[in-house]
Amino acid sequence: MAETLQNLGLGFSIALQPAVLLYAFVGCVVGTLVGVLPGVGPLAGISLLLPATFGLTATNAIVMLAGIYYGAMYGGSTTSILMRIPGEAASVMTCIDGYAMARKGRAGAALAIAAIGSFVAGTVSVVALMLLAPPLASFALRFGPPEYFALLLLGLLVLAYMSGGSMVKSLAMAVLGLLLGMIGIDQMSGYFRFSYGIVELGDGLGVVPIAVGLFGIAEVLATAGQEVPPQVLKPKLRDLLPSRQEWRDSVMPIGRGTVLGFLIGIIPGSAHIISSFVSYAVERRLSRHPEEFGQGAVAGVAGPESANNSATSGAFVPMLALGVPSGPIPAVMLAALMVHGVSPGPLLIKEQPELFWGFIASMYVGNLMLLALNLPMVGIFVNVLRVPYSLLYPSIIMFCVVGVYAVNGSVVDVGIAIVMGALGYILRKLGFETAPIVLGAILAPMIELALRQSLAMSDGQYTIFVSRPISGTLLAFGAALVLLNLVSWMARGLDWRRRIPLDEKGENS
Amino acid sequence: MTRLRLVLLPLLSIVAVAIAQPVAAQEPYPSRPISLVVPFPPGGVADLTARPVAGAMEKVLKQPVGVVNKTGAAGAVGMQFVATSKPDGYTLLLALSSISIIPEADKLFGRPPAFTVDQFAPVALISADPTILVVRAESPWKTAKEFIDDAKKRPGQISFSSSGIYGTLHMAMELLSNAAGIKLRHVPYGGAGPALTALLGGHVDALASGPAVVLPQIKAGKLRALAGWGDKRVAALPEIPTFKELGYPEAEFYIWAGLFAPKGTPEPVLAKLREAARVGVADPEFKSAMDKLETPITFKQGAEFQKFFETDAHRLAEGVRKVGRIEQK
Repeated sequence: MAETLQNLGLGFSIALQPAVLLYAFVGCVVGTLVGVLPGVGPLAGISLLLPATFGLTATNAIVMLAGIYYGAMYGGSTTSILMRIPGEAASVMTCIDGYAMARKGRAGAALAIAAIGSFVAGTVSVVALMLLAPPLASFALRFGPPEYFALLLLGLLVLAYMSGGSMVKSLAMAVLGLLLGMIGIDQMSGYFRFSYGIVELGDGLGVVPIAVGLFGIAEVLATAGQEVPPQVLKPKLRDLLPSRQEWRDSVMPIGRGTVLGFLIGIIPGSAHIISSFVSYAVERRLSRHPEEFGQGAVAGVAGPESANNSATSGAFVPMLALGVPSGPIPAVMLAALMVHGVSPGPLLIKEQPELFWGFIASMYVGNLMLLALNLPMVGIFVNVLRVPYSLLYPSIIMFCVVGVYAVNGSVVDVGIAIVMGALGYILRKLGFETAPIVLGAILAPMIELALRQSLAMSDGQYTIFVSRPISGTLLAFGAALVLLNLVSWMARGLDWRRRIPLDEKGENS
Repeated sequence: MTRLRLVLLPLLSIVAVAIAQPVAAQEPYPSRPISLVVPFPPGGVADLTARPVAGAMEKVLKQPVGVVNKTGAAGAVGMQFVATSKPDGYTLLLALSSISIIPEADKLFGRPPAFTVDQFAPVALISADPTILVVRAESPWKTAKEFIDDAKKRPGQISFSSSGIYGTLHMAMELLSNAAGIKLRHVPYGGAGPALTALLGGHVDALASGPAVVLPQIKAGKLRALAGWGDKRVAALPEIPTFKELGYPEAEFYIWAGLFAPKGTPEPVLAKLREAARVGVADPEFKSAMDKLETPITFKQGAEFQKFFETDAHRLAEGVRKVGRIEQK
């Protein structure tokens, strides 16, 4: 412990150097911007800025890139709450309740809770990263394809809890999402599926165009189609801060989101996206008022926003402790280190203590900066809602198109977003929720790859899923969850007393 | 009026550009910025090689050389883009070995190829990194011979990860399998990073990898190198033999990075580009950048590169055909 404190002291002596502070600040600002812009996520942001770090020292470079990563998680909530456009993929869940809160005039509260939840999660998870990185990292590596498959299967169960409306409709949308996720190259055989000769479709539809289309563009179309234009909101200063009740309702979700996000974050893969889904489902399951979810439940903002922030620290665990590129974002950051002649590997912490501890300390500082940056911005951002719709909506469409284009510089992506926007509009008119489509489209390729990799590992033996301890446990947990629900559902069906008042009500109305 | 102007302005500018083009062609090359297309995302081998290359060529050509990452479909999107762009020397491509694999895989599935190798004019080879065979340190195989002997005894039982089906890391293993007459079990992953993670996590038994990313893991005692695919030993691992030494010369394989222009680029322009590349790779800044990446510079141009490219493409095409279409179980 004393050694850790000493090391942390060393870290802060580096992180508080003016140059390092400056680059941490630049990273946080850029990250917030990248998060706010729809479509452009942390991966695109880091990739775009990677060449700019070549002239810096290794520490400055990594501090700045990390700032972009966790800064994007702060910024991602802003457009989700204000305009129902996910700023990046991990903010999809925030669109649902965050936007519903904004429609009720609680935009300021939602933004503030998101920022504070992100801060708590960011800070607590750095402590965990600092203390637990080496032991946790080897555990994370044990997550192979079978374990990933089991985890994703749990994620699929989450789909059932996604919608407040009809379960059948929600599942239908999830299946549509899964089908959309089938488009693209078959990673196991190299076969192009449903690409119709368009090379760009080889990579699938992509999360960003789907999410921006289904949420952002569809929202604009739906509102424009209303006969009576919605009233322009005039948030009062008093409404900017969360109420006492909202605080109380957020404390536990923030805590749970932090732990959950960190644990899921250490698993190799794009875990920060999944962490927000899982957190949302958990909050809804544990809530005493699950019916409020989708209608502006503050827990539906606090949980996922904390989880996605905490997951970023988790993602650094295998990267720093083992030098393993555990996901696309850590991979780019490792490349940044290599450019500076630092070879990331299991010996990184020992050989480069200044870099590791300076990095850790800078994350504490960075989270403080982001809180200071984001809280005052709440007042400014909320004013976006004052803009008349005739000006606001065309700009939203423009930002959507620019954001989607910027990710890959691909016009095909813009086309996908527009088609998805039209699809989202029709589905909303028919009373379908669109969030399960996004979740399905994200999960489908991951589940498929994990399933088929597992079977390739075992030469086709399905027993691989139950014989490995972690995946077996996860699957057993999932089965228990389904059984429990089934039992309570059947019990309800058998309970004749419940049916009578329902029938009576039916007759009276 | 405004509407008319809206229509007319773009039209006029198109006409203006059309008129300006022939004039531009008369100007000495290069007279405007050049874009170097990298068909992979920033941070990958190709990107990290392209940036110092662009910097070094800029000094010689006296025009900005900008790196453009045009990613998608394992590189096919960017390669197709350059294959069909104007052969004027202002759009160049930095490609890896996979440029020879993608059209073959397309052929295999009977789909119209996104591009073919003869749509490119090779300019220069920049680097050629032999892959090395690595296993976990606690695995039973101490030498490549033990590994191959065991694989012969248990066909299809030893597994390896790769960056993706028909990807460079996959092809390296397949060339070895063909040369040694063994059969290994392939588990494709979505990139070299996840492939390495899978090996370290014990989910697969072996991996063919570029040396730079696995050297720290070898130094830390997590991984063991068994043999290399190059015709010379890897400088950082002098005690590790090559497959050629072990009697499998057909297994020779490199992840190389080369500079290409679209076919039809005028010869004087190509000559200028070759010259810029030759002077560029000798630049000390470029050398130190490549040193940090632990990627050896292997410069070839003209007929020499053409021959290397053709031999390599032939070998890879053979490899892809041998793998064939993966039938679903």
